[in-house]
Amino acid sequence: MKKNKSLFVGMLLGAITLIAFGSTFFIFQNKQQQKEQDVLKVVTSFYPMYVATANVTDGIEHVQLENLSEPETGCLHDYQLRPEDMKLLSTADVFVINGGGIEEFLAEVASAYPDLVIVNASEGIVDHGDNPHVWMSISSYQKQVLNIAEGLAAVDKKNQDAYTANAGAYIAKLDEMKAMQEDLAMASQGQPVVLFHEALEYFAEDMGMEVVYTMDLDEERQVSAGEVAEVMGAVKKNDVSAILADETYGKELGDMVADSTDARAIYLDPMVRGEYDKDSYIAHMQANLMAIRANFVAR
Amino acid sequence: MSSYFAELFQYDFMRRAFVAILIITPLLGTLGTMIVHKKMAYFSDALGHSALTGIAIGVICGIKDTSLSMVIFAVVFAFLLNQINRKNLAATDTIISVFASCSTAIGLAILSRGGNFSKYSAILVGDILSITNREILYLFLIFVITMVFWCFALNRLNAISIHLSLAKSRNISVRLVEDIFAMIIALIVTLSIKWIGILLINALLILPAASSRNISSNMREYHKYAILFSMFSGVIGLVVSYFTNVATGPMIVIVASMIYFATYLYGKRSR
Repeated sequence: MKKNKSLFVGMLLGAITLIAFGSTFFIFQNKQQQKEQDVLKVVTSFYPMYVATANVTDGIEHVQLENLSEPETGCLHDYQLRPEDMKLLSTADVFVINGGGIEEFLAEVASAYPDLVIVNASEGIVDHGDNPHVWMSISSYQKQVLNIAEGLAAVDKKNQDAYTANAGAYIAKLDEMKAMQEDLAMASQGQPVVLFHEALEYFAEDMGMEVVYTMDLDEERQVSAGEVAEVMGAVKKNDVSAILADETYGKELGDMVADSTDARAIYLDPMVRGEYDKDSYIAHMQANLMAIRANFVAR
Repeated sequence: MSSYFAELFQYDFMRRAFVAILIITPLLGTLGTMIVHKKMAYFSDALGHSALTGIAIGVICGIKDTSLSMVIFAVVFAFLLNQINRKNLAATDTIISVFASCSTAIGLAILSRGGNFSKYSAILVGDILSITNREILYLFLIFVITMVFWCFALNRLNAISIHLSLAKSRNISVRLVEDIFAMIIALIVTLSIKWIGILLINALLILPAASSRNISSNMREYHKYAILFSMFSGVIGLVVSYFTNVATGPMIVIVASMIYFATYLYGKRSR
């Protein structure tokens, strides 16, 4: 009996080890990529930074650009670094961050990899208190693009011109977008609005809207009854014309408030996630502007 | 494949996590034996949830290092639970449930003020990868303390759990031993909660001991297998999570659960 038991335990643990390593090895092999020599590995902290950096490094061959973990990361506030991320960062040369405190794990990264060059894209951009979602303002985003280009050029001097040229071209494209936004702003100028996402503050400001109330909804947020009443009160009192919200987290509450008041709900993309395409910032911003146009100009 | 294992230890964070696992798992395994034996699974779970309140109190009082307020609150909480438990006013599980939900609610209410709860959500799942050398040292200290306590109190605790009157007749100061035991559980639960997470810590305390109980026939075996299972799940869970990019805590618990079910079937058959 006794011997049986040790045998059983041994076999059990052996079997689990086998299963664990078998499946791990399989997954690992699928992911294994050959390591390239002589590349500048640039890692970005999350989606908007990835898109900006992708534009800056466009066409520069030896730059290898990667983003931390999956695109589903969302707004990073509650993000946990995973072993994969630490591994990725340990091989990175440059780490591009949005800054403004949105990367809460930054201190940890900096102390673990003191040699890693960290490019803070928000350097020199005046944000509002502790609202780090500056990429939502096209002009701030342009500044971020410039900062990233400068940061990369400082590390990779021989491609300095290429970074500058890329940044210039991208900023010119963004300028078109900005002109479009300024046109639209004539219609939305002075409109009182309620925001359901902190990130939309910069966008609303660029649209000339008057923000009367901001409620920051995100993943893990529970809204209290008092807050909903407060929002309703603010909507009615200020004769608010629109509620700007993010579709993922704000849809239910947005629809509810829109139904019971005169305000309309407009769903915008805060661009914290999306497809990994270098034109996606422009595409999403355009969609946001279209949504504004549909609600303020076309009526 | 062996070169992958070499790669595993070239990172500081992995080395530290590994050492931490090697300290935490035998500790939780050992404590777990008595927790399962004394039917205190609910108790340690409640302690885990009280961590939220501890942090909340720390935040309110403006204490920078919230682990301190967390530890203090958990110790007080454990004493209080013991105290009320002794009065036998209601069934133990009811009392513990009441306390746990009450303290969780208070913690959540305070921490979610202003919609900032996401800042603390790390505590729910834990993050063993961010452990520092100093924290490993604390863990090691508590490890030593626990082992000393264990040598001195194991038989007494065992006697108490078998029969209270028997223990008293042997001149065991039931109160003292139970209080110290509760305090040590509180200390360990709160100190390791940052690494394992509220949702998983109780699983790690209970699963190895429960698995071991399925198959052991005496105290020695009970301890031996509990520690073996606990360390095994910890190490395998960490390594697998490294290669497959899954959160570490849940992976450890999955391995521990697999062991539990296997031993359950084995124990049932051979009984």
